[in-house]
Amino acid sequence: MATVETAPAGFVRQDGKEKVTGTGRYTADLTFTGMAHAKFRYADHSHAKILKIDTSKAKALPGVVAVLTQDDLPDVRYGGFVQDRYLFARNTVRFEGEIVAGVVGVTEEIAAEAARLIEVEYEPLPVVTDFVAAMEPGATLIHPDLPSYDKDENIVADGNTMAYHTIVKGDAETAMAGADVVVKSHYVSDASQGVPIEPRAVVAQWQGDKVTIWSSTQVPYAARAGVAQTLQVPEANVRVVVPLLGGGFGAKCDLHFEGQVAALARAAQRPVRLVLSREEEFTIIAQRREGIAMDFETGVTRDGRLVARRAKLVLDKGAYCGEGGFLGQMAAMHACGPYQIDHISVEAFLNYTNNQPSGSVRAPTAPQVCWGLEQHMDEVAAAIGMDPVDLRRRTLIEEGAEGPTRQVFDKVGVRDTLERAVEMIGYGRELPDDEAIGVAVGWWPCMPAPSGAYVQMNGDGSATIVTGAQENGSGAVMAMPIFVGQELGIDPNDVSILYQDTDVAPWDMGSCGSQTTFNSGRAILAAAQEVREQLLEAAAEQLEADRDDLELAGGVARVKGSPDRSVAITDLVGEIGTVHGKGSGEVLDAPTGDTGGCVGRLGNETFLAPQLITQAAHVKVDRATGVVRVLKVAAAHDSGRILNRAGADGQVLGGVVMGVGLALSEGTMLDDQGRQRNPHLLDYKLLTCSDTPEIEVDWIEYDSVGPRGTKGVGEPPQVPTAGAIANAISKVIGRHVRRLPMTPERVWEAARG
Amino acid sequence: MEPTMKVAATLHVNGTDYPVELDPHASLLKAVREELGLTGSKEGCDDSECGACMMLLDGEPLNACSYLALQAEGREVTTVEGLAGDDDVGPLQRAFLQQFGVQCGFCTPGMLVSATALLRRNPDPTEEEIRIGLSGNLCRCTGYRGIVRAVRQVASGDVPPLGSAPVHPDTTPPHRAG
Repeated sequence: MATVETAPAGFVRQDGKEKVTGTGRYTADLTFTGMAHAKFRYADHSHAKILKIDTSKAKALPGVVAVLTQDDLPDVRYGGFVQDRYLFARNTVRFEGEIVAGVVGVTEEIAAEAARLIEVEYEPLPVVTDFVAAMEPGATLIHPDLPSYDKDENIVADGNTMAYHTIVKGDAETAMAGADVVVKSHYVSDASQGVPIEPRAVVAQWQGDKVTIWSSTQVPYAARAGVAQTLQVPEANVRVVVPLLGGGFGAKCDLHFEGQVAALARAAQRPVRLVLSREEEFTIIAQRREGIAMDFETGVTRDGRLVARRAKLVLDKGAYCGEGGFLGQMAAMHACGPYQIDHISVEAFLNYTNNQPSGSVRAPTAPQVCWGLEQHMDEVAAAIGMDPVDLRRRTLIEEGAEGPTRQVFDKVGVRDTLERAVEMIGYGRELPDDEAIGVAVGWWPCMPAPSGAYVQMNGDGSATIVTGAQENGSGAVMAMPIFVGQELGIDPNDVSILYQDTDVAPWDMGSCGSQTTFNSGRAILAAAQEVREQLLEAAAEQLEADRDDLELAGGVARVKGSPDRSVAITDLVGEIGTVHGKGSGEVLDAPTGDTGGCVGRLGNETFLAPQLITQAAHVKVDRATGVVRVLKVAAAHDSGRILNRAGADGQVLGGVVMGVGLALSEGTMLDDQGRQRNPHLLDYKLLTCSDTPEIEVDWIEYDSVGPRGTKGVGEPPQVPTAGAIANAISKVIGRHVRRLPMTPERVWEAARG
Repeated sequence: MEPTMKVAATLHVNGTDYPVELDPHASLLKAVREELGLTGSKEGCDDSECGACMMLLDGEPLNACSYLALQAEGREVTTVEGLAGDDDVGPLQRAFLQQFGVQCGFCTPGMLVSATALLRRNPDPTEEEIRIGLSGNLCRCTGYRGIVRAVRQVASGDVPPLGSAPVHPDTTPPHRAG
């Protein structure tokens, strides 16, 4: 194979210097002349009819410059797959973080006081917080008008079930009846949170009919579209700029407060800034990791062939759809996992409740479902007396194997990841009786999406990338100069990046779906290749050589094998006048399969270029207290070719640490009204520096379909961590822990049986 | 709401005296960010839970979100903007970048301040001492390893200029299956 060029030694991210010196600006760091401050008034009940909103006292408070309710805005609902929400509540509030009104004050304190002075009369409605009971007959409907809402044509909705999905292959019922052994398992995951360390912030400023919005968003183009839709203004009049973004993890996807702040700034006739508190960052964002109740049933032969899988998943959508309409279908695919199974019948119910809305958080649905499924797989192995790693060796997908909907896989490295992970962790060795090793395998698709980019050569031989891609901190955009440097034969440190501005660059999906290298990288590469062609054509003329005999390297165009026949790129740029390229590349199609029997097809019924992961966890359990200590995690990943090893490793290290948190301590607790009981960092416990295990990372590299043979990288690291830890715990205590997170109390209770 | 009576004070930050008019209830973080315009220190929780606001007060690390600005009068405050001293980018800052201890960067200023305090207290900390010393600062991106390695690198005294030799110690060639 050809060597894939990777990041040069000493390559440091371009936004690094501003980040370590404190000169970089994040959204909350911005101030503008005349800037005022926004605060929201939130619902006083988790479910209630609004009878009356009286804003007169708030408006009368000195220093208040605007007060808005939905009555002041266009009668437009928004939402990704189901349009079910207004910017401000209209007639009904459906969760504790619902925004009833917005105020602008000349100081934050005045705005907060004004928000408090708004008087709201309610008629409380029954609160539905149990997401399984939400689908029982006679349950109070969260959205009685759901049938009449605008929605994606493939959404199948009924009662409180916002979306119903099935994944079907063959005849699972008959096959199950013929299995040697049938194993059933039940697991429940609590909701959890993305928790970027930067709380969300938005600043909006109008000049005439145009608004500029600075926002801590992962998806500036989605934010722009949402503002345009909800305020009924042209997208051309809405410019979204993303200053440095202090982490996202999915939690900063979707339209999030840009519409409200823009409306408030228009009403106040001055720039307005909103900065969320940590508590608001927990309670009002419509983007948490959903709770899921899972039932798995697998039929297996005594020699370890998976003949049938049935599963029923019930997911907590919370009060509104947002961008999370696909969660049920994604969860259903993860209930199949990267295994060869003869017959499958999985159904998923994505149910409305009066809880915080759920949305994409790093590999949405996958870590919870993988945690349940991989424990179930260990239970299947135990039922036939087989080592769980051996069962996986016999059943994981491979090149030419059929997926859950009969898509046929190209070369995938999942079996290599299994072997590498168990090798790194030392699977099978003797351990003290309070320690054990668990293994889990997971997968995650690549998301094909359009993207566009420009690349220009500057007169001094440097280059500039203009991209719509968004950088959430992962370094995916920061690695783009490597691509361009390679194409143009220049040092990547001489390639600058302009991103973060919807008025400047073509549309991009944003920092989500592990898609930046896969799609934005493809577009940037195409743009760089246009520049390369222009340079080579001009060089061919100057050097009187055949274009195909030329190469770009070291800042010159030269004849291959005759380095003295060369011309400097700077001279070529001077000659041509302006050298710039644009590109999109070709968006890949989703793989085909036998999907006709599946209900609620939203595009995840096949997995393009699946990223595959095995992680093995070595844990120590204190049986007397239930306290679990993770000593080591070995992570072996197939993400295609790795272009920037240190950057890719960084994704795994961070993802595994998030995964350990998800496994052991991170769970949102609700009261009987669906209100969060632990919306702070002291009671919602992230891992600290002294809690993290040793983590060993390795990559299995096969060529894949992304640029330079890549796949995505960022989301998979979190997928199997909790499952691997769970399987290790069960080996120590002799029973599976059936609720996530696996807190000391839950481990202790499970150990007692 | 009655306007709060402001109080005249002088804050000494990064070697400069700043005469300011402060709300008595203003935190040191808010005063430094909004009155002095030094926005490097971040607010992540306003509750001493995340460490993003960490500053040095007379050399000792402090969650500036939970400390009144007026209490800092007459004392020496150091923020991330003051860490490099006369350098363009100081050795600890370079090490953070070279060891991939920075992703989104939001925790970085507080992390750098805590690490600076740790190294002054203990110029040659073990990995465990570093991990305990930085456990008041949350990072959600990096998994902490690059940060710990950066502190070790500074303790070992060898931090090359940016853009020079590779320093990422985990550069064993990746496993090639195909």
